[in-house]
Amino acid sequence: MPKASKNELLPGTLEMLILQTLTHRPLHGYAIARQIQQISDDVLQVEEGSLYPALQRLLVKGWVKAEWGTSTKNRRVRHYTLTSAGRKQLGIEAENFKRMIQAIARIMQTS
Amino acid sequence: MPSLAELWRRLLFFLGRNRLDRELQEEMRQHLEFKAQENLDFGMSQEEAGNEAARQFGNALLLKEKSRKARGFAALETITQDLRYGLRMLRKAPGFTAVAIITLALGIGVNTAIFSVVNTILLRPLPYRDSARIVHLWTTLPEFPNMQLTESASDFPVIRDGMQSFESMAAYREAKMNLTGRGEPEQLSAAVVSAEFLPLLGIQTIRGRTLDSQDGHGGNGKVVLLSYALWQRRFGGDTGIVGKGIILNQQPYTVVGILPRGFSFPNQTDILTPLSSVPEEQGQGENDVFVLAKLRPGVPLQKAQSELDTIAARLSKNHPDDDSGRKLEAVPLQTEITGHSRSMLLVLVGAVGLLLLMACVNVSNLILSRGLQRQREIATRAALGASRSRIVRQLLAESLLLSFLGGVLGLLLAIWGVDIFRVLAPAGIARIDELRIEPSLVWAALAISSLAGILSGLAPALHTARPDLNLALKERQSSAPATASRFPLRSFLIVSEVALALILLTGSGLMMQSLLRLLHVNSGIRTDHLLTMDLTLPQARYPGDNHLVLFAQRLMESLQQHPGIENVAITNSTLFRGSMHIAPVIIPGVTNERDIGNQAQEKSVTPDYFRCLGIHVVSGRTFSDRDVQGITRVAVINESLARRYWGSQSPLGKNVILGPNPEDSVQIIGVVADTRDTSLRVGPQPQVYVAFFQGSGAFSQKSSAGIHLLIRTASDPAALISDVRRQIWSQDKDLPITKVQTIAEAISESVSERRFQSLLLGAFAGLGLVLTLVGIYGVISYSVSQRMREIGIRLALGAQRGNVLQYVLREGAQLALLGVVTGLAGSLLAMRLLANQLFGIKATDPATLIFAALLMLAVALAASYIPARRATQVDPMIALRYE
Repeated sequence: MPKASKNELLPGTLEMLILQTLTHRPLHGYAIARQIQQISDDVLQVEEGSLYPALQRLLVKGWVKAEWGTSTKNRRVRHYTLTSAGRKQLGIEAENFKRMIQAIARIMQTS
Repeated sequence: MPSLAELWRRLLFFLGRNRLDRELQEEMRQHLEFKAQENLDFGMSQEEAGNEAARQFGNALLLKEKSRKARGFAALETITQDLRYGLRMLRKAPGFTAVAIITLALGIGVNTAIFSVVNTILLRPLPYRDSARIVHLWTTLPEFPNMQLTESASDFPVIRDGMQSFESMAAYREAKMNLTGRGEPEQLSAAVVSAEFLPLLGIQTIRGRTLDSQDGHGGNGKVVLLSYALWQRRFGGDTGIVGKGIILNQQPYTVVGILPRGFSFPNQTDILTPLSSVPEEQGQGENDVFVLAKLRPGVPLQKAQSELDTIAARLSKNHPDDDSGRKLEAVPLQTEITGHSRSMLLVLVGAVGLLLLMACVNVSNLILSRGLQRQREIATRAALGASRSRIVRQLLAESLLLSFLGGVLGLLLAIWGVDIFRVLAPAGIARIDELRIEPSLVWAALAISSLAGILSGLAPALHTARPDLNLALKERQSSAPATASRFPLRSFLIVSEVALALILLTGSGLMMQSLLRLLHVNSGIRTDHLLTMDLTLPQARYPGDNHLVLFAQRLMESLQQHPGIENVAITNSTLFRGSMHIAPVIIPGVTNERDIGNQAQEKSVTPDYFRCLGIHVVSGRTFSDRDVQGITRVAVINESLARRYWGSQSPLGKNVILGPNPEDSVQIIGVVADTRDTSLRVGPQPQVYVAFFQGSGAFSQKSSAGIHLLIRTASDPAALISDVRRQIWSQDKDLPITKVQTIAEAISESVSERRFQSLLLGAFAGLGLVLTLVGIYGVISYSVSQRMREIGIRLALGAQRGNVLQYVLREGAQLALLGVVTGLAGSLLAMRLLANQLFGIKATDPATLIFAALLMLAVALAASYIPARRATQVDPMIALRYE
């Protein structure tokens, strides 16, 4: 019997999702994972650890920057902030993503 | 394509990787804590909460690895890993490592040293401002083919004002000036320069002032600048000398400044004085100068040259008598100064290049031998999934490691080599005094090491990284297939090494034979017991020829009293220093003035010259004491000149005009044998000797007369030097005596550059032979050790030890023979580049080629003999159990 699986992420989309979650405010790693899961109603199951290699990539690219600060519970945590380059990149990726989704949607409708 | 900023960030991350790792660890730990806390809040037990958190998180170790990879230089880290592993492997095989490093160090060392020399002399810009734009101007005339002539001072403004391409022009002359008044008199090399000279070169004085346009025009009296070396040597670096007076050529000069250290342009210059302050030659108006010019920025040399052509054409039209067919030529200063050392240095570069190749070939072979032993290790890695490129990279990292270690040792060798080069190099090599050990040496060593690492490592790496897994992993098979012939790569390497060594050997053989032949060429002069020295007589004290003649007569008379002296002669020309006086030769009725090529070397000599030098008189007579001023001027010619114009007829009693004026007519009274007295290399030239006492012709340096004293002694010439000095100073205590040497020393000096080159090439060829010896020895020993079992079986089955010896030797001989044939072909090609430096021997000289080939074969056989001998001593029982 066919069922809707809890899909793994399309490759490359994790980074876009991270950028997206950071658009409004800086977050620490755990909060990013939580947010992605919550907003997608648990559809997008991120292997939480894989967040960290992705964050390192974003740091190297200069799309986010990281700062140590204190959390609401007064613990030392690392906050990730979107940079202006990251904002621009998010725009580009979101645009590409939208185009791809529309294309896929059109194919699914016609067949 | 990562951006620069990204690379920068990567680098920062790489440098801070330990801190970043700690932070990441901390971050992940926190993440798990948060998660576990949340799970607890859902009501899980403490243990469940932790496990669940870890499960959802994934493999923390792998993720850390991934994170590291994401931010780091993946390549850099693999390289570090490769190097660490390589170092471990090298430490495990110390013998192999030592031989490989020493071999590479030799190759890298000689190449670094020679590169440094070439860099200093040929490549580096001259130490003058915008030196690339400085050119020298020369005149050429059809009467004097292949000669560069100076410009006349009167043409200087014409050229300067007619040129758009030059931003400035300077004139200078070289002169000898006598420094007297303090200590022994000393002859100094002076550059007599126009006001533009120092600004054009961009040179400033370090003390006092520079020359200005007022100098030399009466206002400031006579002024002089001292070179740094003279200032230190003669005045002890005393700053107080500036503003004081010194005596040059018996006249007072004021020292106004000190030149910077190292400045000696154009030629070991001791002092610099303004052009107009040196009295010009009396009588004749012609006053020749060298001309330097600086191109305007961006103006190509060709444009300047075409402008010069126009001016030259105008000059020849204006002075059809002297200047017809005149051309002006601009030569970049750098080319001019270093041009003659160029071919010698390029030959050395070629030689060390061959050595480097040979060193790489040897190391390749070593690595290959080891590669065979390591085949199981490599195969294991391949079986475990290492890609071929990964294995190649690993093996290359090892050979690069070797070559860098070799490079460090090579650098030490090079530092030593540069020192040796500087000490041994003959003085004639331009800019050799600028050669020193400097940071560029490190870069050169690094570059050459990288090249050597790749050259020596690539072939074996590619070869070894392709193991047959099945074969290699089976224990017994690992060492079986190993005759050299079954490994064409190894054979190929040895053959090419023999070929390279042979090329080096023939090259150095040819150069050495050239040197020997040159030294044994008959100069036509008796060279034993012959002492020579130079005297410079300032015009201020000896204003005319009669003063000079008087001085010469008195000096010779007093010297001839000495019991140890057989003969004394004086001439205006030096011997074996490559320079000569040239006179146009006009023979009434035979030649006319404008004929091209009618010129002869002219020398004025005292009567005893021919006896003193042992020059054979063919016919007629030579000069006597009665050939003095006021009677018919006479001349002696050599056989070459006689043959050229009179063939088999006697030239005696005929007249020759030496120069443009009919008054320069001389009558031929004798014919003498040909000599090679300018340079051994140059064959006999037409020569004409005139009588010193009828006109010395010695005022060639305008302000002073240079004469050359020749003394034939009965015993050791060196013992007489102090007596001769005393005699000269008793005539004139202010006379500097320079270049005191025997003729044999002068000849030796004249070939010093060639001797130096032969010496270096010989050393390189010797090194090449040693490398080949080691290389062949290595290959044959390896092949024997791989065939222990086979040899054992042969012996067990009754093979004679002699047969085994032959069998192994044959293998070495075959490779060597192939190498020799290739090397002979290579030599025939390569030696064509050497042809113009050879003397008395052809580049294809069969004796040299055969000798080199036989020597090479002998070395190859000797190298194979030791392992072959070892093969015959194999005990069959042990050999069969081998491995």
